[in-house]
Amino acid sequence: MRHGIGQSVRRPDGPAKVNGAFRYAGDLRVPGMLHGRTLRSPHPRARIVRIDTAAARRLPGVAAVVTAADVPGVATYGLIVADQPVFAAAEARYAGEPVAAVAAIDAATARRALAAIEVDYEPLPAGTDPTRVLDPDAPALHPTGNLYREIDIRHGGIWADGPVAVEDTYRVGMQDQAFLAPEAALVIPAADGGVDLMVATQWLHSDREQVAACLGLPEELVRLTLAGVGGAFGGREDITLQIHGALLARSAQAPIRIAYDRVESFLGHPPRPPARMWFRHTATRAGELVSVRARLVFDGGAYTSSSPAVLANAVTHAAGPYRVAHARLHGVAVRTNNPPCGAMRGFGVPQVTIGHEAQMDRLADALGLDPVELRVRNAVRPGDVLPTGQVLAGPLPARELLHLVAARPLPPPPAAGSELSLPGGLPAGADVRRVRRGIGYALGYKNLLFSEGMDDSAMARVRLDLDEDGSPRVRVHSACAEVGQGFVTVAGQIARTELGVEQVVLAPADTSVGSAGSTSASRQTWMSGGAVRGACVAVADRLLARVARAAGLPARVVEMPRHSLRIVAGEIVGAEAGLRIGLADALSHGPVEAEFTFHHRRTTALDAAGQGDPHVAFAAAAHRAVVDVDLDLGLVRVVSMALAQDCGTVLNPLALRGQVEGGTAQGLGLAVMEELVTDGGRVVNPTFHDYLLPTAADVPELDFVAVTEPQPDAPYGVKGVGETPTCTATPAIVAAIRAAVGRDLRSVPVRPRDLVDLSPSGAVGPAPSGADGPAAGGATPR
Amino acid sequence: MLAAAHESGAAVALLSGGTDLVPALRSGERVADAVVALRRVLELRVRGAGADSLTIGAGVTYADLVGWSLSPGLARAARVVGSVQIRNTGTVGGALGSVRPAGDLLTYLTAADAEVLTASPRGTRWRPLGQFLAEGVEADGLVTAVRLARPGGPQVHVKIGGRQAAYPAIVSCAVVVDRVRHRVACAIGGVGRLPARMGGAESFAVDEVDWTTGTIPVQAARRFGDLVVEAVAGISPVLPVGPGESADYRCHAAGVLASRALARCLHPQATRATQPATTTELATDAQPGTARPSDPTAGPGAAGRGGGS
Ligand SMILES: Cc1cc2nc3c(=O)[nH]c(=O)nc-3n(C[C@H](O)[C@H](O)[C@H](O)COP(=O)(O)OP(=O)(O)OC[C@H]3O[C@@H](n4cnc5c(N)ncnc54)[C@H](O)[C@@H]3O)c2cc1C
Repeated sequence: MRHGIGQSVRRPDGPAKVNGAFRYAGDLRVPGMLHGRTLRSPHPRARIVRIDTAAARRLPGVAAVVTAADVPGVATYGLIVADQPVFAAAEARYAGEPVAAVAAIDAATARRALAAIEVDYEPLPAGTDPTRVLDPDAPALHPTGNLYREIDIRHGGIWADGPVAVEDTYRVGMQDQAFLAPEAALVIPAADGGVDLMVATQWLHSDREQVAACLGLPEELVRLTLAGVGGAFGGREDITLQIHGALLARSAQAPIRIAYDRVESFLGHPPRPPARMWFRHTATRAGELVSVRARLVFDGGAYTSSSPAVLANAVTHAAGPYRVAHARLHGVAVRTNNPPCGAMRGFGVPQVTIGHEAQMDRLADALGLDPVELRVRNAVRPGDVLPTGQVLAGPLPARELLHLVAARPLPPPPAAGSELSLPGGLPAGADVRRVRRGIGYALGYKNLLFSEGMDDSAMARVRLDLDEDGSPRVRVHSACAEVGQGFVTVAGQIARTELGVEQVVLAPADTSVGSAGSTSASRQTWMSGGAVRGACVAVADRLLARVARAAGLPARVVEMPRHSLRIVAGEIVGAEAGLRIGLADALSHGPVEAEFTFHHRRTTALDAAGQGDPHVAFAAAAHRAVVDVDLDLGLVRVVSMALAQDCGTVLNPLALRGQVEGGTAQGLGLAVMEELVTDGGRVVNPTFHDYLLPTAADVPELDFVAVTEPQPDAPYGVKGVGETPTCTATPAIVAAIRAAVGRDLRSVPVRPRDLVDLSPSGAVGPAPSGADGPAAGGATPR
Repeated sequence: MLAAAHESGAAVALLSGGTDLVPALRSGERVADAVVALRRVLELRVRGAGADSLTIGAGVTYADLVGWSLSPGLARAARVVGSVQIRNTGTVGGALGSVRPAGDLLTYLTAADAEVLTASPRGTRWRPLGQFLAEGVEADGLVTAVRLARPGGPQVHVKIGGRQAAYPAIVSCAVVVDRVRHRVACAIGGVGRLPARMGGAESFAVDEVDWTTGTIPVQAARRFGDLVVEAVAGISPVLPVGPGESADYRCHAAGVLASRALARCLHPQATRATQPATTTELATDAQPGTARPSDPTAGPGAAGRGGGS
């Protein structure tokens, strides 16, 4: 089938996105619309003594001003726990928390109105150190306390340690999703008392539930349609401006455009939680992992968002894809007065992969083993018991991935002559003789779909009919949010393959169809792909049954029509029945429609000892990074990245490549530049001038090999592919830098200042010789 | 017209390339009642060479300067500004109007002892760059040109940004050598509010150079870097550091850059002759025929802090 599954079908929205014609949510305009803007707390923690909006309301051109007092329904929202106020009422808990919103005839008037709102704050001592907020004397930052979740996994019988041990503490900074199209929505009040939202989001139905609850409306009166999304990466899973826009639209009784600028975008959505992680790994002298201990502190910021689920992922993956007889993995996600943190590509796993992979390298050093060899020896295999007690099912070709990636050709050595290709690029004038090369590896795995007993089902509706010209056409209707991951091609590919019809149209994603679940957790190709496939099969069954009935075929054929009839190249063929009828003829009696809801296998919650069967499935990846470091300036250039990934069946090779390249680039960003820095709870770099993203000049071409063992319980054998490479790219690069400079690196992103000796004695003579770092925290063979 | 606007009490903004002004107006960081676009003032867009000096109009863009063989240091400084879009629109006048502490052009012009020509209803006047930066441009005036001496030797401009791709400098360094007048000038941008000259290091270098060959001993190039580190550490007030940076790294990097830049200008002579007989020229970086892409001093010294061996 042309453009069926397995082919590199191009995105239908590709040309428009490249030539600028694509309409993102921020491009939506309607006549008479007003402009919404949000007032945010400048304080990380403050009592709100008084809010006076009278002056703002009196300004000409201002149509509505709303605060906590104007929220008719539930005052708070949240993905897991509804603890985040629509507007801060009595207390603001982070710098950037919304306090009020206004609607005005233009953006400048809206800005003036914000300035006219008087808010008296009484600053309170802010809890911004995640390692201190659980101290007995630490003040509660919220009535429900400072602990979002604690997980303690105990694995193995009587505790044993191996004779070789390495331990250290690692820090991972706050990475932002930094999608290019900031948050935006167009909100229109409806005559029936409801409200229509066109919004760039990851999960329409979750938005609807939360908006309806806060507006005090039945869900049917809140209708959402997906507007053009320019990147998401987890950053659009939480509510940002949806409720504010709806409140303004209802208050002003006019359409509202509400859109963030870059600064507000950085403050508005929850980024990846920063982490402090202590690890202790022990092994036999032969290099067999004996025990892993981990203590993790994840800073969830001011409100819950996804923290409990992120923590579960982090703790359950903390030992990595390795066999280990004894594990004690403990983690807490805590509340602070830092910005709320939540979902981002990898969802808790990138942080721990950075930790366990640094540990594996140091263990290899301590054992005198090759880092790849140590990983190969200890990699998990299907049938192994993971620290949660879950038995690893399905394909997980970890060792094969390591062998594949290690065998990729290496790039040529750094050369003089082309400054562009040396660390720092053209302007730094790196000296090739002061450039050292390093190679690093990382292996990781990541769960797929929602975990811990969640039934995150996905629904799709498929209709087969004739178009105006009388040609068969499939219409797929799903609420799956296309955020760049490629459902727009995959849905069509599945429909073509199942129904043998080339013409497929995708209806706009909206809430008039059942929930597709979130576009996150590497789940949509599996879940919504499964739903589309199921609905297509049901449509085919109905049509074939109708044809069989009309042709007077026996009842057993009508009941199980697929056994005797098939749709092939626009025709319905029944060999044994001698039947052959054009699809168009068959459809002339009317269209056929079906819905299907796809469920993945059931999982279970974790018990008090962190035991259970929490994850549906896993996918693994192995990266090899090659870097050059200018030893005097500490500048790093990532020279080459090779990736071998466990992909399941590949539905669209081109889209797969896009996902793994993007995932690698985002992991590279975290390794060497991306960090949202806070100072006393305030974000100090909420612009693209100060929060740097890797560009084409920073990201080398990816040398990629896919391993395509089908996942047995997934449609066509697919696996999610978008998150896994993000988890392994960062630690591979950090390992390569460590190899180049010969120092242990405990903080990510790695900064130039971490790589040069800044002590006064550093001026005399060269320092490290490529041996290991200081004894403190270093390898401690016993 | 500027004067008229000024007298009316209106806030007037001069617009050259707009790469700084437009974002500032958009964010509300600057407000203006009127914007005067200089783009079509062709007199500002010329550059010329006299017997001893080069004159560059305020409307000349970075792109115009990139290939200018008469001033390789200036060409190099212009080449490493921003992306191609910024180089195509950003101008010399805009750089002097914005006075970014780590502006590439500003660092280079500081090392090159440039003079600035401004015009106002009261006439025109030349001022040394330092004086211009201290006093600023009159409210009803504008920058019309910059003047510098014709290069009398090799010149190098280097900088560090936050990533491999084009990026405004965190630290920048320009070294200008005059083999005729026996001068070495070095400016460091990105540490203080304005680029700073490294007077002590400069006089040290002048004494160490063998002016007949235009070379300097390896150890002297290293020492030069150390002197720059010391001088930079004394700068006050220092610019606040950006996220992920540290003040001591900036000082260290300034020393490494200065040592390397000097070494590129003055092809250092190791005491034990380890210099390869032939090295390839790097004509874009310095005066043709004087610069070498690789030289031993680019190694340790100030540059040796924390380096391997
Ligand atoms: C993405 C990006 C990257 C950048 N990268 C770099 C970089 O790598 N290195 C670097 O040095 N800079 C960089 N810049 C800064 C900028 O491009 C330069 O400072 C540039 O020289 C400004 O020139 P312009 O013509 O665009 O100035 P404009 O924006 O037009 O004006 C800048 C200021 O100068 C005033 N002005 C303009 N003309 C005159 C005049 N004739 N007389 C007096 N005042 C005047 C304006 O009123 C305004 O205040 C970057 C900027 C951006 C946006």
